[in-house]
Amino acid sequence: MKRFGRWLIPILPIPALALLAFGLTRDVQVLPSAIVGEAAPEFRLETMAGDSLTLAGLDAQVVVLNFWASWCIPCRQEHPALVRATEVYDDSDVRVLGVLYQDTPEGAERFMRRFGGGWETVLDPGTRTAIDFGVYGVPETFFIDADRRIAYKHIGPLSWEILRTKVDSLLSAGGA
Amino acid sequence: MRQLAPLVVLCLMLAPESALAGTQEAELSAAEVDHLSAEVAAQLRCPVCRNQSVLESSSGLAREMQSVIRDRLASGETPEEVRAYFVGRYGDWILLKPEPKGINLLVYLLPAAALLFGGLLLYYRIRRWTGATVSAPEASPAGLEVPDADAAPTEGARAAELPSPDADGGLSEEEEEWIRQQIGSLG
Repeated sequence: MKRFGRWLIPILPIPALALLAFGLTRDVQVLPSAIVGEAAPEFRLETMAGDSLTLAGLDAQVVVLNFWASWCIPCRQEHPALVRATEVYDDSDVRVLGVLYQDTPEGAERFMRRFGGGWETVLDPGTRTAIDFGVYGVPETFFIDADRRIAYKHIGPLSWEILRTKVDSLLSAGGA
Repeated sequence: MRQLAPLVVLCLMLAPESALAGTQEAELSAAEVDHLSAEVAAQLRCPVCRNQSVLESSSGLAREMQSVIRDRLASGETPEEVRAYFVGRYGDWILLKPEPKGINLLVYLLPAAALLFGGLLLYYRIRRWTGATVSAPEASPAGLEVPDADAAPTEGARAAELPSPDADGGLSEEEEEWIRQQIGSLG
């Protein structure tokens, strides 16, 4: 018993230290998502032009659903990647759709005029659709496949490389 | 019957809680919706502030979440259903107090286990220390051991030789004789 006790005391703090080390090496920016792999929540929202639009009504193999706002600085950073996506995938079955997050249509129009880009953006009164998608903040982008299932979710500003990789993998999965 | 009284009081106290757990049959009043939505909002983590509840946070998203909670409760959903909706969107992370199931059980059981283990360890340590103090005179060090017990009787042995005093505290003749002998032997 005495010998056992002599070993036990120095060993005891090891699990606690291991737990602490695990916690301290996590990236606090990486947040869990319960919705990836699930069916995308259906919505019926109004575009800035005043038309009604539903997710089910979108005729595209891949939908890139981007939550953004004109007041959001990282949204400016990712904007060129989205502009490029609309140009590169112009002939493909890919649809980029913006969802305005806690912003006014006037602000969004000014943003688009200033930074370019002609894809559609829908309004989300009461942030209901953003909450339905489990959005933490903007920008956040959801890659929705042909079965209207959320295949990937990206938190923070998108880069062209990330966007292309995810869209291409969904296009090839759909084409196979 | 008097013995049952505390039980009845307890049942009455628990009644509103258990009623909330089931489906809300009757429509809730505005005050009830207010109360319940504050209760649910206090249990949910604000996705923006993270260390604050949806109720405490003043962020735009938290305010919208509060209005979602209120609308869902007003439409007849139970607090459990509303919580489940948010867990379905944000995962268990959204709950400020994790559900006691699966790996989460560690959070609840580990401190109790550590306390129990520490307590037991302390108990056995203290018992060993105090046990050692009591038994110390019994085990005399080897160097001080007396080789011949007759040559110099130990304190214990002398005490055993002493005749027991009378019940009234006085000395009997026998005892007085014994004391005289002892004094004589010293001289």
